[in-house]
Amino acid sequence: MKWTATSTASRRLGLPAVVLALSAGLWLVVLTPAAAQTADQGEAVFSAKCAACHTIGGGTLVGPDLDGVSTRRDTAWLTRWIAEPDLMLEEGDPIAVDMLAEFNDIPMPNLSLTDLEVASLVAYLDAQSGAAPGVDPDPVQPVAGPIQPNAATGKSLFEGSNRFDNGGPPCLACHSIAGIGALGGGALGPDLTGAYGKFGEAGMASILATTPFETMSPIFDDHPLTDEEQVHLSLFLSQAAVSKRTAASVGQLAMLGMAGAVFLLLGMQFLWRRRLREVRRPMVARSRARIERFKQAEDERRGSTPGTEGR
Amino acid sequence: MDIRAQVSMVFHLDKCIGCHTCSVACKNIWTDREGVEYQWWNNVETKPGTGYPTLWENQEEYKGGWEVEDDRLQLKLQSKIGTLGNIFYNRRLPTINDYYEPWTYDYEHLFNAPEGDDQPTARPVSLITGEFMEIESGPNWDDDLGGSPVYASNDPNVAPLTDEERAQLNEIQRVVFFYLPRICNHCINPGCVAACPAGAAYKRGEDGIVLVNQDKCRAWRMCISGCPYKKVYYNWSTGKSEKCVLCFPRLESGQAPACFHSCVGRIRYLGVLLYDADRIEEVASSPAADLVEAQRGIIQDPFDPDVIAAAKANGVPDGMLEAAKHSPVYKFVKEWELALPLHPDFRTVPMLYYVPPMLPVLAKMKDGKYDVAGAETEGLKPLLTSLEHARVPLRYMAELFSAGNEEVVTEVYRKLIAVRVYKRAETVGDLSQEEAQEALDVGNLTAEEAEAIFRLTALPSFEERFVVPPLAREVAIEQIGSPYDRKREGGFGSRTAPERRW
Repeated sequence: MKWTATSTASRRLGLPAVVLALSAGLWLVVLTPAAAQTADQGEAVFSAKCAACHTIGGGTLVGPDLDGVSTRRDTAWLTRWIAEPDLMLEEGDPIAVDMLAEFNDIPMPNLSLTDLEVASLVAYLDAQSGAAPGVDPDPVQPVAGPIQPNAATGKSLFEGSNRFDNGGPPCLACHSIAGIGALGGGALGPDLTGAYGKFGEAGMASILATTPFETMSPIFDDHPLTDEEQVHLSLFLSQAAVSKRTAASVGQLAMLGMAGAVFLLLGMQFLWRRRLREVRRPMVARSRARIERFKQAEDERRGSTPGTEGR
Repeated sequence: MDIRAQVSMVFHLDKCIGCHTCSVACKNIWTDREGVEYQWWNNVETKPGTGYPTLWENQEEYKGGWEVEDDRLQLKLQSKIGTLGNIFYNRRLPTINDYYEPWTYDYEHLFNAPEGDDQPTARPVSLITGEFMEIESGPNWDDDLGGSPVYASNDPNVAPLTDEERAQLNEIQRVVFFYLPRICNHCINPGCVAACPAGAAYKRGEDGIVLVNQDKCRAWRMCISGCPYKKVYYNWSTGKSEKCVLCFPRLESGQAPACFHSCVGRIRYLGVLLYDADRIEEVASSPAADLVEAQRGIIQDPFDPDVIAAAKANGVPDGMLEAAKHSPVYKFVKEWELALPLHPDFRTVPMLYYVPPMLPVLAKMKDGKYDVAGAETEGLKPLLTSLEHARVPLRYMAELFSAGNEEVVTEVYRKLIAVRVYKRAETVGDLSQEEAQEALDVGNLTAEEAEAIFRLTALPSFEERFVVPPLAREVAIEQIGSPYDRKREGGFGSRTAPERRW
């Protein structure tokens, strides 16, 4: 009995203790090695995931310039912010809320980074802080010389009439935008009308290059857009016609909807034109009309034959 | 041979007085619930007339029953692919106006009306909407030829008559009608079962009663369109289709169905027929003129040892076979060939048979004697020629009962006349034996047969009219559960509440 009791107790206490010890160990493993080692990995993660919106010493893009961020913010806060910004915003963290207001209400997305990636990013940011200013990793691919951006090509890529070279799905599958016809596109991703205005040229270019968002990255990581495709799309997105939805296009959609409904109704009417309508009422109406006609004919016959008694 | 047993019926129209007691008995037992007020599983129609629902016989409109196309028996309604294509929209449903909008009266008003100069009235109130309504139609709106210029003249069976015959039907002094009580025919080749996409309509194996499983019914309502007799109805409250169940709970406890039991004129007979299920398709696709003969052919002799052996091999219980031997239906339909199916041209092989009515002949008093127009006044002649002077043309009867084959109907009438002449010679004695024999020869009957027909027509006992086979459901139920629980829980249809509501 006694033996069993202790064993149960040890089991109860033992498991969490082991887990705690292990996670603490892992934490140590992650944090203790020289920051320089993980900083390299951090650079890779930064250019893939962060550079769409942030620079280090290159000025403000969509989000703030991260030069010296590790001195401005305390490490624990920074770690959590990179890992789960959406949660912190939800909880109403004062710094986060202030930043949201400062940066045009564009919230920082949760990029689903692993603990290891977060740690390496923090290490990388730490290492970059105080580095020579002006060192901009410049993830934004400059427009390569020979490529002539063409908005029409960009549109056809968006709509999928030209396939992406690496086999990614066309933008239309998930996004809608003004300027591609009244029916628009998919509704899984946000409407991209005005997206260019929101993210700016550099932001848009880096988004197209890195597709950092949670839903997009699993799709496009293996099928990235080519440089050429990026510039075409970027130009298309920057056009005035697609960055603002006109009232006429809303009316156009309503008209299309109504025309579709009328077409369907007429189609059903035609398809089922030989359906059974009513039997009794038409029959009664027919017969009554016939009796009426008969009576009239009788009356006329009587009227035209003099001598018959007019009752 | 695939011998099966069928509880079948004969209605002797000569005895129907059109009292609607059967309809009321059925209504009280089965269709006094919400959602089924408009349903009359048993209804009595006046013929000539358009019936209920209006013009149900007109399959150009309703598309019920079967037709032979490309040498194949097919539902008139649609093919199997058509069922799929039209599953969300059945194009061939009668509207409530083709049945009638059921109503009650605002009786409370008679008691609660404020004092005034006029007598209070009870206005009709719709049982569907609950609002005051104008009554336009009813389940027997053209009863006794009411509104005949509208209704009787539109009877689909009148169409093939000559103009002269049609005019004669409307002549005031020769006007004529008879009653046609209708319930579900419990067909051998039911259109409702074939049309059902959900597999809810089925023909019960042990006795051939056609039922709609209330748990399986998905309210596609194809059965309503598929049945040429329009005897499946939609319950708008439960969202399920319902039909005449031939009072199977009564049959299972040895009683006759309610409409049979309550029949004032005792026109109804119930008994078992044995039929060969291998020949159903062959019979149903026969040429129109042969349909009645083919249908008689599918019914097997319950005394034939081969038939009995085949039936037993098929699991037909001994009690059922014994009942088949005493079946009054077998005598009327097969032995004497007096009873005919209603509209065999719908090709559902209905198992409800009708003995056609002997209708009055046109006669007048002449020199103090009753003179059938055009016939000699003496002797047998007035009776024997009554067929030729029947007020309803034979053609009309043939449309109803033999898919247009006048010969079949004529044979039946010759027999019915022969029985009358024979009994008149015997009881009144103003006809000689030779004349009686002549009538029997014309009718192709023996004296014994004539006597037997007379007895089963005029003097049958309760047990002779209703030979209910022992259905032994309790034995069958024991296989799947406690019969006592079943007895307590069982009622109409399902034992679990439908999803929508009761």
